[in-house]
Amino acid sequence: MHGDAVPLFFYSDLFLRHPETRELFPVSMAAQRDRLVHALARVVSEAGHLDAITGYLQDLGREHRKFGAIDGHYPAVGASLLATLAHFNGAAWTPELAADWQAAYGRVAQVMTEAAAEDAGNRPAWWEATVVAHELRRFDIATFRVAITEPMLYLPGQSVSVEAPERPRIWRFYSMANAPRDDLTMDFHIRMIDGGALSIVLTRGLAVGSRLRIGAPVGTLTYRPEPGRDVLLVAGSTGLAPLKAIAEQISLLPDPPRVHLFFGARTADGLYDLAGLEKMAAGCPWLTVVPAVSHEPGFPGERGLLHEVLARSGNWREHDVYASGPTPMVEATVNQLTALGVPQGRIHVEDFGWSEP
Amino acid sequence: MTPRSGERLTPDQVRSIALPPARFGHRGYDEEHVLAFCALVERELVTLLNEKASLWEEVERLRRRIIDTGDASGVRPEDAHVQAVRILSNAQQMADRYVADAQQYSRQITAEARRHRDEVLAEAKTHADRVLDEAHSRASRAAEGAAAEPGPAANGEWRDRTAELAYLRTFSEVYRTHLRAYLETLLNNVEDWEQSEKSSLAAARAELPFPFPSVAPSAGQATPPAPAAGPPPSPYASPPSYTSPPSYSSPSPARLP
Repeated sequence: MHGDAVPLFFYSDLFLRHPETRELFPVSMAAQRDRLVHALARVVSEAGHLDAITGYLQDLGREHRKFGAIDGHYPAVGASLLATLAHFNGAAWTPELAADWQAAYGRVAQVMTEAAAEDAGNRPAWWEATVVAHELRRFDIATFRVAITEPMLYLPGQSVSVEAPERPRIWRFYSMANAPRDDLTMDFHIRMIDGGALSIVLTRGLAVGSRLRIGAPVGTLTYRPEPGRDVLLVAGSTGLAPLKAIAEQISLLPDPPRVHLFFGARTADGLYDLAGLEKMAAGCPWLTVVPAVSHEPGFPGERGLLHEVLARSGNWREHDVYASGPTPMVEATVNQLTALGVPQGRIHVEDFGWSEP
Repeated sequence: MTPRSGERLTPDQVRSIALPPARFGHRGYDEEHVLAFCALVERELVTLLNEKASLWEEVERLRRRIIDTGDASGVRPEDAHVQAVRILSNAQQMADRYVADAQQYSRQITAEARRHRDEVLAEAKTHADRVLDEAHSRASRAAEGAAAEPGPAANGEWRDRTAELAYLRTFSEVYRTHLRAYLETLLNNVEDWEQSEKSSLAAARAELPFPFPSVAPSAGQATPPAPAAGPPPSPYASPPSYTSPPSYSSPSPARLP
């Protein structure tokens, strides 16, 4: 039981033996140490049957490409891991134990490097992006457009991790707000998180010409057309981004289903993209946009939290539902729709992991 | 009551901790204070565990030195490495703490600014309503007065026009006065703000014990490897198929905004 001391020793040992690895990490290592402990715990608990975590390790290997990890780093990490274990186990550390760990780490590293190498044949480790438009819609909400130089295959509703040169090695996930375009531009909607390291740069620190790095697309909030089934999109704040991308995807279908898009915020100035949505709806007879505001009594449209508005606005039992936004909003929406009889399998969600102040 | 970061937590403080009750309508203690206290306890425990580990090492080292009756001078290479690890670990923890404190500070400031903004907006709206009401009622009185005055002609239209003119003149006068006063207050606020930002920045710089050379990204670090020479990237000819999943899997849905 040494708590934080173990990962602390591990990273210090690694950086002293291989100083070049230090710049793969952010200034503050606190979150990084937690991640290492979780990953190690997962690997150790499954050490007997590596097959069970092969998928996890492959993801980890692919994900590490954007951090700048290369094959040569893996033996260095292994050596520091063994040195750390030897240090904390003291007299209990035997050559046999060391050999077992060495072999186990070797297998883990092999799975990771192989997955990374395969991934490298398909796509770049990251995409270089240049900001071509940036607009502050409210003091804490911005939308911006970037252009990338190499094509990226993604599905509307997916997200990518983003890094800015002002905050090296700090990656955060954001959803694309558009279906893939031929001109290789992508839109993002960003809300400033109080105390957030990257979101403040993306809302207030970008200008046309700013450079960003973008990781490979991930995420399962993607739309699959179901014949005869209509669609309900429920967006809270910047949770709108992936759902706008899905709406755009539907607009390209030859025979689009009926789509209801509920867009909610606390106050009317939080409906930062309502004008854009209404313009879109004007050209799409199958699309209905319903703005809702919860904390502004004078608002002329729907008032109340999104799940309350949904409950009195229609029957959603035959709809495919996609919901995205702040955690409490997504949870309330899922509970409400389940209570209204929408089967769980038809509700797809993306939890943005924060709550709106 | 809550010790500042950097100070050591004492058993006395834990015993005598007095947490303020939560805001009206919430049960238990104020969440922010409880979380801050837990963070403090956690930091203290980590420090203690690290100190314990290093003391244990020191004991081991001294014990070995006694057993090795031979060469007791000179530091053995593995000892030197462990010492270097410890120094680097301490420096890293110090850096972590600075970043965490800065983040905490920024969180508080932003939350405060957000609250302040909402208050200012609400107040401005109330104020505007009041000014409009006042301008309207004074202008109405002026109009009534003008209409009651005996005019040169007993012409009804003439009287209406005079009343309307008096109304508009008074309305715009009241409104102008209020607007001028409001803009002056606003301007003073902005100047105060500018002033306090300048002095707080100067203070914040003075508090930094040493510069952080590693914070600024060096040009080499921020620049990606040059793209390999070869044909330009193929045009984006084939859009992804929307009906079938992509060939690559979609890992961790975890999102860290």
